[in-house]
Amino acid sequence: MSAVDTATMTSPRTRRRVLLRKRFLRRPMAVAGLVVVVAFVVVAIFAPWLAPYRAGATDFNALLAQPSSKHLLGTDSLGRDELSRLIWGARASMQAGFFATVLAILVATPIGMIAGYYRGWVDSVIARLTDVLLAFPFLILAVGLAAIFGASLLNATLALGVGAAPGLIRVARGETLALREEDYVPAAIANGATDRTIIFRHILPNMTSTLLVQATVTIPAAIVGEAVLSFLGLGVQAPTPSWGTMLQDAQSYLTQAPRLAVFPGLAIVLAALAFNVLGDGLRDIFDPRTTR
Amino acid sequence: MLEVRDLSVRFDTDDGPVHAVDRMSFELAPGEVLGIVGESGCGKSVTCMALVRLLPETASVSGRAIFEGVDLLSLSSRRLRAVRGRSIAYVFQEPMTSLNPVFTVGRQIGEVLERHLGMSARAARARTLELLELVRIPAPERRLDEYPHQLSGGMRQRVMIAMALACDPKVLIADEPTTALDVTIQAGILDLMRDIRERLGTAIILITHNLGVVADIADRVVVMYAGRKAEEAAVDDLFTFPQHPYTVGLLGAIPRPYEGEGTRERLQEIPGRVPSLRELPQACAFAERCPRADARSRSEVPQLREVRPRHLVACFHPGPN
Amino acid sequence: MNVLEVDDLVKHFDAGSLFGRRRGIVHAVDGVSFTLARGEMLGLVGESGSGKSTVANCVLRLVEPTSGTIRLGDTDITHLSRRRMRPYRRRLHMVFQDPYSSLNPRMSCGDIVGEPLRLHKLASGRALDAEVARMLDAVGLRPELRFRFPHELSGGQRQRVGLARALILRPEVLVADEPVSALDVSVQAAILNLLRDLQTELGFSCLFITHDLATVEYLCDRVAVMYLGQIVEIADRRELFRNAQHPYTQALLSAAVVPDPTVQRTRRRVVLDGDVPSPLAPPSGCRFHTRCPLHERSAPASELETPALRAYAPGHLVACHLVGAGRSAPRLVDDPADIVSA
Repeated sequence: MSAVDTATMTSPRTRRRVLLRKRFLRRPMAVAGLVVVVAFVVVAIFAPWLAPYRAGATDFNALLAQPSSKHLLGTDSLGRDELSRLIWGARASMQAGFFATVLAILVATPIGMIAGYYRGWVDSVIARLTDVLLAFPFLILAVGLAAIFGASLLNATLALGVGAAPGLIRVARGETLALREEDYVPAAIANGATDRTIIFRHILPNMTSTLLVQATVTIPAAIVGEAVLSFLGLGVQAPTPSWGTMLQDAQSYLTQAPRLAVFPGLAIVLAALAFNVLGDGLRDIFDPRTTR
Repeated sequence: MLEVRDLSVRFDTDDGPVHAVDRMSFELAPGEVLGIVGESGCGKSVTCMALVRLLPETASVSGRAIFEGVDLLSLSSRRLRAVRGRSIAYVFQEPMTSLNPVFTVGRQIGEVLERHLGMSARAARARTLELLELVRIPAPERRLDEYPHQLSGGMRQRVMIAMALACDPKVLIADEPTTALDVTIQAGILDLMRDIRERLGTAIILITHNLGVVADIADRVVVMYAGRKAEEAAVDDLFTFPQHPYTVGLLGAIPRPYEGEGTRERLQEIPGRVPSLRELPQACAFAERCPRADARSRSEVPQLREVRPRHLVACFHPGPN
Repeated sequence: MNVLEVDDLVKHFDAGSLFGRRRGIVHAVDGVSFTLARGEMLGLVGESGSGKSTVANCVLRLVEPTSGTIRLGDTDITHLSRRRMRPYRRRLHMVFQDPYSSLNPRMSCGDIVGEPLRLHKLASGRALDAEVARMLDAVGLRPELRFRFPHELSGGQRQRVGLARALILRPEVLVADEPVSALDVSVQAAILNLLRDLQTELGFSCLFITHDLATVEYLCDRVAVMYLGQIVEIADRRELFRNAQHPYTQALLSAAVVPDPTVQRTRRRVVLDGDVPSPLAPPSGCRFHTRCPLHERSAPASELETPALRAYAPGHLVACHLVGAGRSAPRLVDDPADIVSA
């Protein structure tokens, strides 16, 4: 059914990309997710130009002010512009989200691959340790680690990355276990390939789409995680804004100015949801069994 | 008993439509074994799955399939469900994945009996035992309470057949029932199917790519290529007087025993590949690979003609090589 | 000197252990011996559980045998470490059954075929490209296909790529593990013809593993039949098909369907009782005795003692208590192979 069209000049990589793009565009939810994600990333990067006020700018004449033309979303208890803080806060969240995930993947992939490829006692040790760590909910783990490392955005990011690693180790290990049963692995051995060649040339490249999807769903967990850590005072420290610290500040004023909690809360939910939906879409389009 | 007229199936995929089956027509007489032969992608499975509506949502089916006076393709889902499993039964290729691993054999067959025939649990169990004996499973009482993974491939296939026969269907559609089985086990299943046809009078549609299997139990054979029927004949006629160049090619591609002393002849190859089913060419689907192709084959779709008694071919140049 | 000699090969697998407690041993291969001469094609026939694929994996040293010896030429490769084995991998290679899983989907066909050259540092750059193009041509593929990825090729084309990869270093021994079973009939014919042509041209010896007797009869010079981890019969092709002795071989031959309705209708089949026993618990004595139609006659010896592979005639060895030098086994059906057909 799939006759190779020898007349076309497009390269196979281009064809695959076109196919994936078409599949993606057929999923409105995923597209929406992508749009929102890109919006957040743009906001985070261009915060200095987008935010009407500087991060710490206070205006003691307008404490807990209602939304107005001067302060589109109002101000908080110290007269800081809510909208600006939301925009600056996006930075902390996006940073934590991306870097924690990158860290997790960089740590988890080699460990998972070694466990899955070599099996034996190495696998037993790694798998059991991972299972133990996975028994802790991700947030509890992250909180514990952050408390040990000390409070700062960097340490929070580290804690989140390490906390997300066990789940990714399991994924990497599972993929490796499956991939090493493919016939091209013994074919490579018969070619005289060393373990290194097999792992890097044959197994790793075939894991990339799974890892990409996993990354896309780890980021929202990290974003929520950063908000939690900052809320608890273990992450970003005042006066740097973060959606989590904004929630923390808003606690005392819930009856007077609920919007101070609603906006950062909405931001967290929206960002996490967008990444999750995007991740679902990506998982779908990469699945070879998908027909649409 | 079953009359299929102009059955066409079209799938809507990422890259456009795929015309899996193009105007297939055939008939099944009571108690007859009809073999549908073809290689992968020819549409043989899709044709039969269309009859009992087992195709995914992306498939559009047109045409008619008259069974006992009713057009199966236009029945409501509810009425079709009454037919499916009861009058027309389906057996699949992979006995491991078609049996539910978490239910015992007795439970799975029993469920069919309870659902379709309204039997009580006890009556169902007794009937299940009968069915297992019918398909010659050794120690049937024990098997009732065993799980699929405890049985071998051949036995699981027998269980599938027992399940299919539970309601005494008029038609049994067997989709590559022996492809996943060992040679010696396959022989047993073929014997069983022959037995069923003789004792119960069930008509069988056997889908396969193996011409040897067809030679073994089929009465009539339909050869499919690229979604269309290429040739149809009684089994003896097809093997002795093949008409369509594709059939000739298939028969020549099978290694045969050779007693002579010199170098053996090469196996016959069919150059080229199956055409893409994305378009419905107004030409013979086999033309690009056919040694007999000419301008006419490339510009006109050959219609089925009777070139010998009860022997149909869709070809402008029929005949043995 | 024989290109390959396998002597009393045994491979047992652990059937999975739970906290160190072994659940049993899978007797995949239990005492297999054969030789492969230069330029010879030996067919290894068996059904599931026969251990034929395990033999292939042992010969290729993809697994380490439990005991026995494998000699490649005059070198004992049975227990060589991965590193010491590497230079010998130039002389042995394999074609796999599944055309979809035997090629790395992320590598272009050219890279796949060229990998052996690169890994053994035998060629690079322009010279490597030229060799790859030549090899693709030799297997009947247009050299432009080296830029394509496996998923763009048909099953038959993929098997050709697999063959090209296996033969690019001109190995002495090619192990073909069911290379055509996953292909359509018309494509099978092309690959079988190709294999025959390449063997004539390149002169390699081939261990051809399959369950399909017709293919073996077409391609191979000698045939060995395996059952539950052991060779039960081994003979020249013609001798085996004309004069099969072992009851299992006879049953196998009679069960194989032939595309000839008259023959299929009139021939009688030997039907074997029951299922293939599990390799976890192979029967005592002759492993076939639980299903053998001649069991009554061979008891009690067949239940107690494993029959050795003995010479029935020159070049024809059989492992059966009822068969000895000059002493034939009873015919179960008249001409099981139906050699004499229309």
